[in-house]
Amino acid sequence: MKILIIEDEPSLREVMLRALKEEGYVVESASTYFEADAKIAGYSYDCILLDIMLPDGNGLKLLEQLKALRKRDNVIIISARDSLDDKILGLELGADDYLPKPFHTAELKARIKSVVRRSRNDGNLDITLGNVALDPESCRVKVAGKEVELLKKEFDILRFFLQRPNHVVDKSVLAEAIWGDHADQADNFHFVYAQMKNLRRKLSDAGANIEIKSVYGFGYKLTLPETE
Amino acid sequence: MKLTYRIALRLSLFLLPLMALWAVLFYFTMVDEINDEADDALDDYSEMIIIRMLAGRELPPLNSGSNNSYSIVPVDEAYADTHPHIDYYDAEVYIPEKEETEPARILTTIFQDGSGSYYELKVATPTFEKEDLLRAILFWVVLLYILLLLTTLTLTLWVFHRSMRPLYTLLHWLDHYTPGQKNDPVPDDTRIQEFAKLNAAAQQAVDRVESVFEQQKQFIGNASHELQTPLAVLGTRIEWLLDHASLNEEETGELLKMQRSLGHIVRLNKTLLLLTKIENGQFPESSTIDMGKLVEEQAELYQEIYADHSLSCTVNIGEDFSVKMNESLASTLTSNLLKNAFVHTEAGGHIAITVGSKQLCISNDGKQPLDAEHIFDRFFQGEKKEGSTGLGLALVKAVCRYYGLGLEYRYVDGRHTFTVDWR
Repeated sequence: MKILIIEDEPSLREVMLRALKEEGYVVESASTYFEADAKIAGYSYDCILLDIMLPDGNGLKLLEQLKALRKRDNVIIISARDSLDDKILGLELGADDYLPKPFHTAELKARIKSVVRRSRNDGNLDITLGNVALDPESCRVKVAGKEVELLKKEFDILRFFLQRPNHVVDKSVLAEAIWGDHADQADNFHFVYAQMKNLRRKLSDAGANIEIKSVYGFGYKLTLPETE
Repeated sequence: MKLTYRIALRLSLFLLPLMALWAVLFYFTMVDEINDEADDALDDYSEMIIIRMLAGRELPPLNSGSNNSYSIVPVDEAYADTHPHIDYYDAEVYIPEKEETEPARILTTIFQDGSGSYYELKVATPTFEKEDLLRAILFWVVLLYILLLLTTLTLTLWVFHRSMRPLYTLLHWLDHYTPGQKNDPVPDDTRIQEFAKLNAAAQQAVDRVESVFEQQKQFIGNASHELQTPLAVLGTRIEWLLDHASLNEEETGELLKMQRSLGHIVRLNKTLLLLTKIENGQFPESSTIDMGKLVEEQAELYQEIYADHSLSCTVNIGEDFSVKMNESLASTLTSNLLKNAFVHTEAGGHIAITVGSKQLCISNDGKQPLDAEHIFDRFFQGEKKEGSTGLGLALVKAVCRYYGLGLEYRYVDGRHTFTVDWR
């Protein structure tokens, strides 16, 4: 899978490049509008990560360029300006997603996967890992083909981890992702623990071969079966 | 003290004694003048009697209907030498026709006839008419004095008010001025030089304030934007370390603490950006929000998050009440007030939330009243709480100002109460 990173800040470009290469993607990068324009015209990418504030032009123009070239590359806008106007304009111009800075790498990876899956699988958005399959549309979870009843929060947590396999997630990050900004001043994370306990019990009761492990009591990590 | 009252007071302070002095002077001059007149009349009368007597003509009858009376007494030379030849004085005189004594003005004249013998002529005229006159004069002087004082004061104040109108227009405008908001232009409809200058100065000051305000807003916005990228880089590097380095428990713990601190900065930054956006009015789109439902949902969420604080929370949703607001701003408003209550209530405390009759009221237990002057200021924190941005109530205030809502804090009977009013 080929990915193009359009980002003018070298340090951020470097870490994004490294993170995506580790996922096994073929990654290229462009630091200016001019460079990006040339790459877009010359090649096709499965996903383009686009910073719309470039030193020599507005990234949104590249979207128009893509449209004019009748290219169907997936585009995720990455912007320091978390503005609704930019978001709406970007999505209207054909971007597939909008990720405000600063973001977690895991979030970026999850968004890329989700965007690519949407365009490839013709609407089948199921996330499958090991013998666990999650359907975000109907909010159903199947373990080894059998449906498991999950509460809303448990479902959200499972989906969050399925999109971030092998990634250490701090409790506070998880709390903020599931409970929103409301949880940002919580002094302990018992409420996360309570939900997590139930989810893990339900998964193991159903015989799932993936596991959400605790990392030294600070956070969690979803691990895959080590059968391969 | 209002300038008008000040001027009225000062004017009366000077005018009162000055005009009183004038009235007294006037009164005594009048009295003097009247005495003079009376004396002149006595003079003429006595002259006429002396001339008639010296000429040997018939003297006028004693009672000529003029109330004047006279007497002629022969005196010896010694008396004439020791007494002044002409003397005026006031005395009680017996009037035989009326059979009573009356106050009178008297003139005594000592004169010599052709044979060299001395006579003393005493002419008297009653003064009760003079008394009447003086009383009338006194009455009018006092009345006119009061009238003049009142007219002077009223006129001065009226003229003052008329002339100062541009000043009052400017003051009125200043009362309604809020920096950073859309304001009417500085009034500029005077041809009086001083006021025109004052208006120009006000305009200049306002322009300067506006430009500083704008710059500050832009600076916060720009600084926050510029921080986003390095923050993203930093976060990504920490995540990479967490996923790739084989770390022991202590190292993982340190990294996660770094990540949490970073998260705090990111939140702070985002909140500052949000504040800037609210102040710039960048939330035009609005929808109908069911306040009761929103508050109930959020209260449930907070009860879950703060479950182990053993707080009791009652939500009282009164009549159905919907408002027209931007969805995310409505959520910001309510969630920050609720979070504030949940974070700052000690274990075992009680939180009461009331929604209804165009009001949202959140109250919680607290030991001491908060500094009502400053709690809505940015970064003002009574007690430092881990992970708190110190911007929550500033956000609440910004949203309230954006929509012109009433926001009030009270401390009654050991309970903090925040009220948001849509009326």
